[in-house]
Amino acid sequence: MKSTVSIKGVLLKSTLLAGALAVSTASARADVTIGVLVPLTGELGEFGKIVAGAVELGVAEVNAAGGTKCGNLRTVVADTGGNPEVGIREATKMIESEGAVAVVGPTSGVMVALVDLAKRTKTVIMSPYAGTITLNELGGDYVYRTVSSDLGDGAASGLWLTDQGYKRVAFMVQNEESTISPAQVARDKLETSGIELTDYVVYNPGQPSYQAELVSVLANEPDAIYLAGGQQSGVTVIKEATAGGFEGEWLFTADLAVPEVFDAVGAQYLNGRAYVEFADADSSLPEFKAFDALYQEKTGGEPGPFAANSFDMANLIALSLESAESCTGEGINSVIRDVADGGEAVSSFAAGKEAIGAGKDINLEGASGPLAFDASGTPAGAYSIQQAKDGKWENVKFYPASAFE
Amino acid sequence: MTLLAQYALTGVVTGCFLILATIGFSLTRQVEGFLNIAHAEMLGVSAFITWGLNAVAGWPIVPSGIVAIVATAFIGLAIGRIVYDPIRKLGPAVVLISSVGVAYVIAGLMHAVIGTGIRTLDIPLATTYKAFGLRITNYQMIVVALAALTGVSLALFLNRTKTGLAIRAMSTNPELAASRGIDVRQTSRATWLLSSGLAGLAGVMLALIATLSTDIAFHQILQILAVAILAGLGSLYSVIVAGLIVGIAMDVSVFWIPAGYRPLIAFAVVIIALLVRPEGLSMMKRS
Repeated sequence: MKSTVSIKGVLLKSTLLAGALAVSTASARADVTIGVLVPLTGELGEFGKIVAGAVELGVAEVNAAGGTKCGNLRTVVADTGGNPEVGIREATKMIESEGAVAVVGPTSGVMVALVDLAKRTKTVIMSPYAGTITLNELGGDYVYRTVSSDLGDGAASGLWLTDQGYKRVAFMVQNEESTISPAQVARDKLETSGIELTDYVVYNPGQPSYQAELVSVLANEPDAIYLAGGQQSGVTVIKEATAGGFEGEWLFTADLAVPEVFDAVGAQYLNGRAYVEFADADSSLPEFKAFDALYQEKTGGEPGPFAANSFDMANLIALSLESAESCTGEGINSVIRDVADGGEAVSSFAAGKEAIGAGKDINLEGASGPLAFDASGTPAGAYSIQQAKDGKWENVKFYPASAFE
Repeated sequence: MTLLAQYALTGVVTGCFLILATIGFSLTRQVEGFLNIAHAEMLGVSAFITWGLNAVAGWPIVPSGIVAIVATAFIGLAIGRIVYDPIRKLGPAVVLISSVGVAYVIAGLMHAVIGTGIRTLDIPLATTYKAFGLRITNYQMIVVALAALTGVSLALFLNRTKTGLAIRAMSTNPELAASRGIDVRQTSRATWLLSSGLAGLAGVMLALIATLSTDIAFHQILQILAVAILAGLGSLYSVIVAGLIVGIAMDVSVFWIPAGYRPLIAFAVVIIALLVRPEGLSMMKRS
């Protein structure tokens, strides 16, 4: 089967024959299998269901538009429960028994565990929500994601701290890779902008008090404190700094972008002077609006978190199959970067298929934003800044992906 | 210079919290003869009882704290009688491992009852007082005052009361104490009530200064161990000195060393001290 498929691929390169061949070989096409490997149970179960649903929606759209030149897409779904071991077992089954050419939807831990398998079996793996910076090292070849890296949060934070015009900023960073790495990016941005970094404190979570960590921070009286920490440590730091006389502003990271913070700290200490930064979809893009309308029409509900990123995965794979020389993971891997960047902008499979059929290069503009991959197989993300107002978080600034170019 | 003094002052507060958290642990170690790893979880039990009464039921903080301390004391006594008493004859290693199991059971129960997320007491934000360029909050002063009060009352209790003297006799030589007519079971129960009550007091302090999550109490066990090891066997006064040494060393170290290394400092102090004085601060060896 593989040889006939690749011959077909070579023939399709001839643009003159493309249209005619697509029709004549349609009856001989077999389905192409995509593994959907998500947590349907456990802590992240709700996200997994959203991702699986949005991938299915994307696949249905692809098939409704006549499928790819390799055939219609077919999905096989498996639950990881967020467990990397289960993830490896299920992915192996998908690839070896079901012949999956791509496995989409793993969470960060599962994604990292699958890197070796993906490269060895030449199968594309793709995640719509794995922000882990480990993939910044491991990703790029067979390993992709349609969400930005956690490092992007650092870039957005750095941009905001610079835009606010603070002269002196202190950093309080929880001792974990996921908080230190973005903080380092924000710190670099501040240093190149000439903002004085009064303190850079890395603290251990789980302490009853952070007074020792705050001694120097408070003594230096910064204009703002960048606090990258969890809720437990973050709330204590905010309260102790406030009680200790800190009168400047705050920038928190995504963990503190929850309403509980207002109850725990006291809204009056946050209103007007606290901000949070987190990764967000660019809902102003026409591609997102089109996806939103389609999702509501087909499912009757609003798209949940990462739904757009998941829908994009289905389109990326389908269009890669459409333009690849072979209907394999290797084929997808060889063209996926070209499909996502540099060519005629298309925003749906149908439009992309038509353009490829006409011999054009395409640039798939995703529902979640631009999908152009960097060396690690990661697109640039968009970020929101919210401000504490009347005991609630309210949008004050949106940084689209283009803000970081 | 003021900055260094501020670190030292913060260290005194940290040390006082460690004293409160460790003193009951050391008492159990002396009288019952094992390291009760579940002691740290008892801080959590007390902290969440305080939270439940104060933030959920709307009680003022003082009665909430008192009820939490008493309740924790009796929960500790019940665990001692149900779990540890029957297996004590199997040796300290077995009891130690069982106490790890008890810690997991308590943590699991707290997680099931309380759930995930953060909890805080319904109390005002701390008020800061300044003198000579140093600052201290009212809650920090409460921790220091209670540590001092606990040290004094415990000394009086152990030296002046019949039960106190019995506890001291038991901790020095259980066989001899028994042969001299001391009611071993009664004394053991008094010890469980006392040590768990002290864990309860430390738990109320934890609720007062920290943001609670169901895993925060267990995070304190390593520092409790550090203080207990540094103190060594014998007198409880050495716990007070050890708590202050570890607390001040950890916080003052932040002046020169990144704060992420605070736990490392705690154990470095313990290791250096034990190299010089292998018996610990109390200089007492078990006969």
